[in-house]
Amino acid sequence: MLAEALDHLVRGIVDSPDDVTVELKSNRRGETLEVRVHPDDLGRVIGRQGRTAKALRTVVAALADGEPIRVDVVDTDRRR
Amino acid sequence: MSNVEESAVTDEIVEETAPSRLEEEGDVAADYLEELLDIADIDGDIDIEVRGGRTYISILSEEEDNEPLRALIGQDGETLEALQELTRLAVLTSTGNRSRLVLDITGYRAGRAGELQRIAEDAVAQARETGEDVALEPMSAYERKLVHDAVAALGLHSESEGEGSRRHIVVSLTEA
Repeated sequence: MLAEALDHLVRGIVDSPDDVTVELKSNRRGETLEVRVHPDDLGRVIGRQGRTAKALRTVVAALADGEPIRVDVVDTDRRR
Repeated sequence: MSNVEESAVTDEIVEETAPSRLEEEGDVAADYLEELLDIADIDGDIDIEVRGGRTYISILSEEEDNEPLRALIGQDGETLEALQELTRLAVLTSTGNRSRLVLDITGYRAGRAGELQRIAEDAVAQARETGEDVALEPMSAYERKLVHDAVAALGLHSESEGEGSRRHIVVSLTEA
């Protein structure tokens, strides 16, 4: 549910909704939702001084009902 | 004469366009929020109201104690602010217009507005009594606006100080 909710929240605020993916990754440090968007939408999803990314984290945390979960916006350009 | 007619026509268009733009804003915002509630399986009705050049969206519940909705308000309305910000961005993306819409959940802001009025009244009384500036707790931009308005209505002066999450109002007897 959390991945789907985050996917919806991000799709609504980008210009290329079809390029949005959200993946749930688990490791020993806990669970992480990895968000990938079109490179042109990256700035919008992060926002000025990370404001939008913080808003996404806040809402996801509220929906997670106390379960700790990370939200990472992955800069795909940088990885290549 | 033709000039007068033209300006009359232009006025009419401006007056008609603004409310419909606000209604479109409301529809986009309601869709965005409604689907979120659906995905999260949270009960809530969405109310849209256009008033005084702003769109007001409320998520309401028939249940007395809707815990998931309370979680969406968060501590001191923190989650509500986050959700409002995302909803404004969704409107910007969808319509190209910057939105000043106000989101409320189960009347949190309405209740808070009464509290802010009391905070403003107390600060004004204290400033009058002591003659000194009164610094309030940090608040969101919308809450600061409500307090500024309340202080002005009571005849005193207020200014915002500090940056980011520490931005707060200082009430004083006269302009600094």
